[in-house]
Amino acid sequence: MLQFMDFVQQAFFSVTNWNRDNSYGSLNATTRGTRVFQHIWHSIDSSLALLDFSTPTGLSLALSSLASPNFATSYSFDSLGALRGNVSYLFSSRPLHIVHRSHDTPLRLLVPGYRQIEELRDPDIIWKEEESIRGSRTSRRDTLIYGRLFLPRSHLEALYLRRLSPTTQLKISAVSSSQLRSGGSILFLLSQDRAKYSTEYLYSTDTALLGVRGLYNFGPDLREKPVDTENQHIPVSTSYKPKGRFSAGAELYYGILNKSGGMSTGFRFATLPQHTGFPYTMTLTVNPLMGNLTSTYAVKAGSDLTLCSKFDFNVYSYESGFQLGMELWERKNGVPEQVDLSWAYEKLLRPGVSGWGEPPIINRNLPLKALENNTLANTEGALSASNIKQSKVVSIGSLSHETYNGVDDANTAGVLKARVNQDGEVGLLWEGRLKELLYTFGVHIDFQRRDQIFRGVGLQIQYSS
Amino acid sequence: MAFNFNWTPLTADQSFYERAQELLTAALNKYPKPPIIVDDILVTELNLGSVPPDLEILEVGDIAEDRFRGIFKMCYSGDAYMTLKTRVQANPLNTYLSTRPSFASPEPLAAAAGLTIPLKITLSNIKLSAFIILVFSKQKGLTLVFRNDPLESLKVSSTFDSIPFVRDYLQRTIESQLRTLLMDEAPAIIHRLSLRLWAPEHRANGYNDNTQPTDTVTDPLASPPQDAVDMNGQIVDAGQIASLSLDSQAQSLFSHKNLVKLATLSDSQRTLSLFTPSMQNVVYRAWSGSPERTGLFSPALSRTNSMLANFQGTNDMLSDDGSYSTRPSLYRFGSSFSGSAISSKTGKPRKRKHRIVNLRKSNLNDDSTSISGDSGTMSSSTSEAGFSAPIQEERDVELVTPPMSPQIRRHNLHDPPEILHQLTPRPQKTEKAPFDSFLLQEVTDCEETPKQSIHREHPKLQPNRYFSSFSPPNESSVSKSQSESDNHGPPYLASPFPYFESHPGGILEQAWMMKMAGEIARRIQEQKLEQRSKHVEARSSRTTFWNDVNDAPPAYGS
Repeated sequence: MLQFMDFVQQAFFSVTNWNRDNSYGSLNATTRGTRVFQHIWHSIDSSLALLDFSTPTGLSLALSSLASPNFATSYSFDSLGALRGNVSYLFSSRPLHIVHRSHDTPLRLLVPGYRQIEELRDPDIIWKEEESIRGSRTSRRDTLIYGRLFLPRSHLEALYLRRLSPTTQLKISAVSSSQLRSGGSILFLLSQDRAKYSTEYLYSTDTALLGVRGLYNFGPDLREKPVDTENQHIPVSTSYKPKGRFSAGAELYYGILNKSGGMSTGFRFATLPQHTGFPYTMTLTVNPLMGNLTSTYAVKAGSDLTLCSKFDFNVYSYESGFQLGMELWERKNGVPEQVDLSWAYEKLLRPGVSGWGEPPIINRNLPLKALENNTLANTEGALSASNIKQSKVVSIGSLSHETYNGVDDANTAGVLKARVNQDGEVGLLWEGRLKELLYTFGVHIDFQRRDQIFRGVGLQIQYSS
Repeated sequence: MAFNFNWTPLTADQSFYERAQELLTAALNKYPKPPIIVDDILVTELNLGSVPPDLEILEVGDIAEDRFRGIFKMCYSGDAYMTLKTRVQANPLNTYLSTRPSFASPEPLAAAAGLTIPLKITLSNIKLSAFIILVFSKQKGLTLVFRNDPLESLKVSSTFDSIPFVRDYLQRTIESQLRTLLMDEAPAIIHRLSLRLWAPEHRANGYNDNTQPTDTVTDPLASPPQDAVDMNGQIVDAGQIASLSLDSQAQSLFSHKNLVKLATLSDSQRTLSLFTPSMQNVVYRAWSGSPERTGLFSPALSRTNSMLANFQGTNDMLSDDGSYSTRPSLYRFGSSFSGSAISSKTGKPRKRKHRIVNLRKSNLNDDSTSISGDSGTMSSSTSEAGFSAPIQEERDVELVTPPMSPQIRRHNLHDPPEILHQLTPRPQKTEKAPFDSFLLQEVTDCEETPKQSIHREHPKLQPNRYFSSFSPPNESSVSKSQSESDNHGPPYLASPFPYFESHPGGILEQAWMMKMAGEIARRIQEQKLEQRSKHVEARSSRTTFWNDVNDAPPAYGS
């Protein structure tokens, strides 16, 4: 489950129309999940979606609040042996109108699962559209500042995020800790998103690491012709809509001080929303220096089920690994499974036909708050129609097909995630909501160690207001 | 006199090799390994070779049937070799990222994918050159300490010899790891094995009780005496001993007035009272520079701290009782102290009737105040013992401290009038053991809170060596004390103080002083090292191989 600050930062990306999927680092985001902020309490591979999710250990409690649309705070306590805690603050120059209360926040937004890549849109065009609507250039430089202090250890994390132009974004993240050899390190990351391709340049003060990452999307170039952004249900007959997208990328690193480097290349094929069958994503990453091959395949077998597999092989050491992951959503009792038949009604129903005058909405217990949110967003005038489309993740009210998740959330009781690898290690995660609280319960089981099968059991509780 | 060193029986025994491999494997995996090593280090081959090391006896301090103390010089350049097997991470980006926090990490997609490579390392051409201090006693086992870094050179050959960068890295890493092994681990291993050999009682209980630090060898106060007697042959009970060695020490360091002031100070900190008593000529912890806090010079300060805590404990005890009825005993302490000092000045021990009140919460005697009998001689010897040792040590520390702080401290020392009076008639003979033990105590004090140190200190009191070694105080001349101390220990351990006082200007004496200062600094270093290794041993004794020791035949002994 996403931490509150991760959720807020995700909202910031959505509001500022930054496509996080269009970068080489998020090539296999479906299997790796969203890495917005890292939680370094547990391990390096934490907060990962389908395969690499981390199971919590011990009891941790997080209290968060979005005090104003621009400012968020979060306090967290972790009782693993000694009590530890952290305090974090976030400031965003752009007001974030998000459903931030833990009572209302849709679970589907909080639990990273299958990442459906979206149609590419040129940031410049989005920018122009937004500018024409808002009529001002004040929001050109959106900024996000974030800081987190870990209390007993005096470990400080800081983040500065700034949108330099419609296509570039600068991210400076710094860590200060006495345990580090040089007392801390700073990472500069300059990202460019040109829709067709994206590049990232990074520099880390630790060992003076330089890095370049790039991703290229094959297919028609979207920049020349204006994109018909809306009305995707009625595809424009003249323009060819691809059903999937193939992307290729590479990364290259070189540490100046330790004179060592690294590189990898990666490929991805993923279906787009207009694909009629099951959505799926395939990735292949190759590390030619170390002889490492990794392939993943994730498929969304239904609205409630996602399956994922990963295969590792090293051509030099012949080491291999295999991992299976699953995500299963549980619905609330008594609620029949919804079938999204709105398209059928749209086609069948004509306004004048008697007896069918009122489209039977199957889920009558559709939460009114979703509509309320929509009206709220509209009355504030902050979001235009196109903007709603873009920030659909944030304001769940807009009644396009993308709001399926948000509406559907009323019926979800929780989500079960499971993974197993070839060594018999099993990770189980159950995430859900209990009244006002969001909880995550995780177990890590190792069947190979007979003496200590349960490697870790943990419960994480979040409350935000 | 002749010594016979047998080298071949060690090498001929095959089971010895197997066990030594196990021990080395456990010792190598004990410390956190560098991130490049991703698997356990296994010792697959071990051969001590046929060339024995050269041993040169530099000094034999003490020799008897059941004990031995000496310093050796050892040189080794034989044909021993050892082969290690492990697996290393070949991707530098992987090891780099695994040690960094992920928040500011570049998070590469697949560039940090790991590649583990099996590695075989052969260590050969080992050249050792060291001064070894060997202390053996039948009760306390064998203690072997390297005085300096023994590893002179070493040839590391591995599967990566063709890549110079990796080769150099391995050479460096392994050398540092081996240094740790030799300096910290080897004395611990040898000591544990020797305990098994010679001290049968350790076989029974020594290994189960892992939480108790095994300071028994180096600390003469560690085990309480079976039948402690004072100078006149009277039996001293354990509670008295506890009070003797600790409280009298506190009394001798601080005058009563200062103690009251300190108590007020600590009280004021606890109660947020606005009144803070001003103290003159006091070295505060915050003032003292960093060199005094670390390394050699910290003992004096931390010791002062512990003394304060000691008294604080006393004070707590008093207030816990709800009344200050026992308070006068403090005064009595002071008076008895000065009286005995005077008596030692006049040269004949006067019989004085007074009580010794043990104010400490002790496990040995549950009744808070144990009032001792009326043995005046015992108490006088007590105050001497308690007095001489700390003062001695203060002086000794002064010798090695930089010239700034001793001035202040000596000033502080001389300032209370009681102590000023009593500095001159200090007993001139000091046993080595209490001195060492106090230093040891200081070393531990540096790392613990004072309260803990009190509790730690408590069960290990063994002041019978005081009594056995102390002759009645007399106005002995410098030469006499010197000759006497020669009988009891190495010359540098005899009281350096008379020289310092009587002939401060002589070149010879100054040279001797310098040498002695060096020796003392070295001893402190050793004690600290030993202590640390003991700590490490005690802490890690839960792990693997100490559990196996019981079925292991003796290795380095016989």
